[in-house]
Amino acid sequence: MARPTARKELIGQSSDPRVPVSMTVNGERVEREVSPRMLLSDFIRHELRLTGTHVGCEHGVCGCCTVIIDGKAGRSCLAFAVQADGADIRTIESVAAPDGSLHPVQQAFRECHGLQCGYCTPGFVMSIVDYLEDNPDPDLSEDAIREVLSGNLCRCTGYKNIVAAFRRSAELMRGSR
Amino acid sequence: MSAAVETGWIGRSLERREDARLLTGRGEYLADVRVSDCLHVCFVRSSHAHARIKDIRLDAALEIPGVVGAITGAELSREIQGQKIPVLIPAFPAKYRQYWPLAVDEVYWHGEPLAAIVAKDKYVAEDAAAAVEIDYEPLPVVTDAEVALREDSPRVYDDWDSNEIFGTSYTGGFEADQIAKNDAEVEALFAQADVVLRQRFRTQRCGVCPIETRGALAIWSETDGLTVHLTTQRPHIERLALADLLELSTAEVRVVAPRDQGGGFGVKAPFYREHVVVCHLARKLGRPVRWIETREEHLMTVSQERDQIHDLEIAADREGRILALRNRGIGDVGDGRQGVYWGFVMPSLGSVMLPNAYGIRHADIKLRCAVTNKACMSPSRSFGALPTRFALERGLDMLARKLGLETAALKRRNLVTEFPFISVTGVHHDSGNYVKAWDKLVESVDLPGFRALQEEARASGRYIGIGFACGAEFSGIPSDVLVPLENQPGYGVVTMRIDPRGKIAIHEGDAPQGQSHETTMAQVAADAFGIHPDDVSVRHGDTGTTPLSSGTIGARGASYTVAAIAEAAAALKAKMARYMIHDHGLEGATADDFSFRGGAVIYEKDGNIRREFAALADRIVMGSINLPAGEDPGLEHTAYFEAPKPMICFTAQAAKVEVDIETGQFTILDYATCEDVGTVINPIVVEGQVQGGVVQGMSNAMFEEFLYDENGQQLTADFENYRLASAADVPNVTVGHSPTPCPDHPLGVRAVGEGRPGPVPGALANAICDALAPFGVESTTLPLKPEMILALIEAGRAGNGG
Repeated sequence: MARPTARKELIGQSSDPRVPVSMTVNGERVEREVSPRMLLSDFIRHELRLTGTHVGCEHGVCGCCTVIIDGKAGRSCLAFAVQADGADIRTIESVAAPDGSLHPVQQAFRECHGLQCGYCTPGFVMSIVDYLEDNPDPDLSEDAIREVLSGNLCRCTGYKNIVAAFRRSAELMRGSR
Repeated sequence: MSAAVETGWIGRSLERREDARLLTGRGEYLADVRVSDCLHVCFVRSSHAHARIKDIRLDAALEIPGVVGAITGAELSREIQGQKIPVLIPAFPAKYRQYWPLAVDEVYWHGEPLAAIVAKDKYVAEDAAAAVEIDYEPLPVVTDAEVALREDSPRVYDDWDSNEIFGTSYTGGFEADQIAKNDAEVEALFAQADVVLRQRFRTQRCGVCPIETRGALAIWSETDGLTVHLTTQRPHIERLALADLLELSTAEVRVVAPRDQGGGFGVKAPFYREHVVVCHLARKLGRPVRWIETREEHLMTVSQERDQIHDLEIAADREGRILALRNRGIGDVGDGRQGVYWGFVMPSLGSVMLPNAYGIRHADIKLRCAVTNKACMSPSRSFGALPTRFALERGLDMLARKLGLETAALKRRNLVTEFPFISVTGVHHDSGNYVKAWDKLVESVDLPGFRALQEEARASGRYIGIGFACGAEFSGIPSDVLVPLENQPGYGVVTMRIDPRGKIAIHEGDAPQGQSHETTMAQVAADAFGIHPDDVSVRHGDTGTTPLSSGTIGARGASYTVAAIAEAAAALKAKMARYMIHDHGLEGATADDFSFRGGAVIYEKDGNIRREFAALADRIVMGSINLPAGEDPGLEHTAYFEAPKPMICFTAQAAKVEVDIETGQFTILDYATCEDVGTVINPIVVEGQVQGGVVQGMSNAMFEEFLYDENGQQLTADFENYRLASAADVPNVTVGHSPTPCPDHPLGVRAVGEGRPGPVPGALANAICDALAPFGVESTTLPLKPEMILALIEAGRAGNGG
């Protein structure tokens, strides 16, 4: 195997500069020094070890990596960690109550069988949580719901049960207001 | 014990066990496995579709801080075995070309890996991969299978006499004279037929790429050897192959399929070349090494199926009864070097499945598969059969139009009605009531009502149409089929263990990727023992703890694995009954005299004689004195299930669409199915499988297409250019049922995991052509893009005199 010559002391070191970042993630202040090109999705998964945020395409189409950044759902694979300096971020790990009871959106997905392999699920849940927080009385027509969901891809369910979960989420959230 | 319920866990829409972790971000996927000191691999991939590698210079890559090492194909080929090993080769006569996981001397497709970089993280590894300098000498490229099969075509492999990797006849017999005799008989039927339909059908290259890409994490230990966590549907086969390729004892290889995998759909079933490189590097460096595939890599190298051409001919009488079929298929298998399937097994099975569901007695079906300078075809749900289903279902509609018959009636007339039925290609149709399911579907879509609406709509310039299709899909794959097909056993197997507290553990050697095994298999065991599903755990995918089986493929879960659970439960219940007979002195009693319900084992002839299930388990496992004569202690059983013949699951599907004749765009107004799935274990899970499978078929039919340019450059390696259906693109699917319990399965179950996408393109295209019948539109290619439909409308208008 070809190995680096005379640089053994550098093995395990990248030459990338390190930049301090700090942000609030799931209500906790975090501070790290990271490479300026580290993706926010990698920061969340590797630095913070919050592996519930998934990576499906790393080019902003599939929506698996969706988190809520300063109150707005966004793709964590399309941002660098340093761009989120000072931001308030919520990931799937923060959605259930501290006692472990499921958030209405999670409960609805479970009741409606809105997931199979579960890989896209955290992205869907974050998108819907964000949407319903901003739109507590959403248009529950089929077309409107499908339009809201169109930013996340799912390969297993065929979406019908995710549409049902959206409806049920809205119902449960209304009930808990 | 949890709240015990009498019986009846089978048939309930139980909420899934898996969901609590998956919904809260605590899934356990491959990329979530964390080991310290782990290095990252990035593959250097060919930028040419066919070229000689003149030189690979690694110096610049190795200068990048953080790079640990790099390996090329030439070096690797001296250190491990080539990939042509018996465990990865099917039993067919075909051209199996030796290859190494990193290209040596020559590359054959755009994206073929030719070197690997190991670095401290993926950022550095990617930098280094980009810094590798390669000199190529471009060679002639062939990207069209039909061209590839011509005598004068450039050769993908210059030492082959042709690009044909595999070709065979599926009808008449195995000897040339038998085949010739059959062909002549079929020809005679064509000569006498009232009507003959001849048409070419083409399905584009596409597949069912899962949302989680592939990956591997290999850990080498001097004492234990190799432990590798892999995205795979068949961990036990991976283990055998890895041991052989790395020349390790199987005692030194443990493969772990992660508890959670983000979809597979067949894509994670082959043995992929990247896996062995990752394992070899871990061994060589003595450090954990990980590779997580990027989406670009994924779309350049895998999930590419369907790519077939079929010249189909149907001979029929005036009433639309099929007298004979003739089909000449061509499969474009890409480079044809991929463990287990070698690109051609999919189109081959597609030809076998072509006449399924219909009672066709005479056929002449042949297939030729060509290698081309494209990524190797890899499997996707509806394994090989979506293209042939499209051809047949579309062809029958064209036949109906020719005869002036209602297509639903013509298809019904040809369905298999007597069971068992062996198709002309040898597919055993075990049982079912296809006509009943068909009628239920046709009734559910109100065909006469729709025809009236269609007339009205046309009068006002709107074009709506209805299309039908069906499929008879394998419910598990018996050894009868799988041993000759893939050199692998078809049996279902589980090890079931009952502990002294009455808790049951099921160990399964398969590796599900979203099929809800933890829930449905617990339901089956709980139902058998009369305990709560929460008291049953299901563990799968770890070759260190599970019995060898061939993997989560071909709808094996609910068919074969569940059947093995039922058999293991029956064996352990019989043993528990024998202990009851012994302990309570019930001479003459048999296992049938005991019922397992409400968390107890009860002697039916005297209800006072009963033991708590857990107490009896404790007595047998822990109280190993005073045993019944000849009886072992302990409660553990490994059961193997094999159906005598293939089991089949029938689906009938109908689409209603509206086409805008000015743009060629169409809207799916309604999509309905009727399923003959036998006994349903968990209705919501079964419905989910159908919903998802149908939408995969829609996405394939409408959007997905891998495109290569004339130089073999792949143009569609991201989700912008390779487009999947989103929620906004597809309708709700209405799932109906017409169950016939399967007599060869202990619980009567038929499994739905495999075949649902197959009939969808035919149903959709039929609906579009029905809507556009006034223009004489007959679509014969996929995907169903608006520009293609518009061109057909315009051609029809021109043909009709404007």
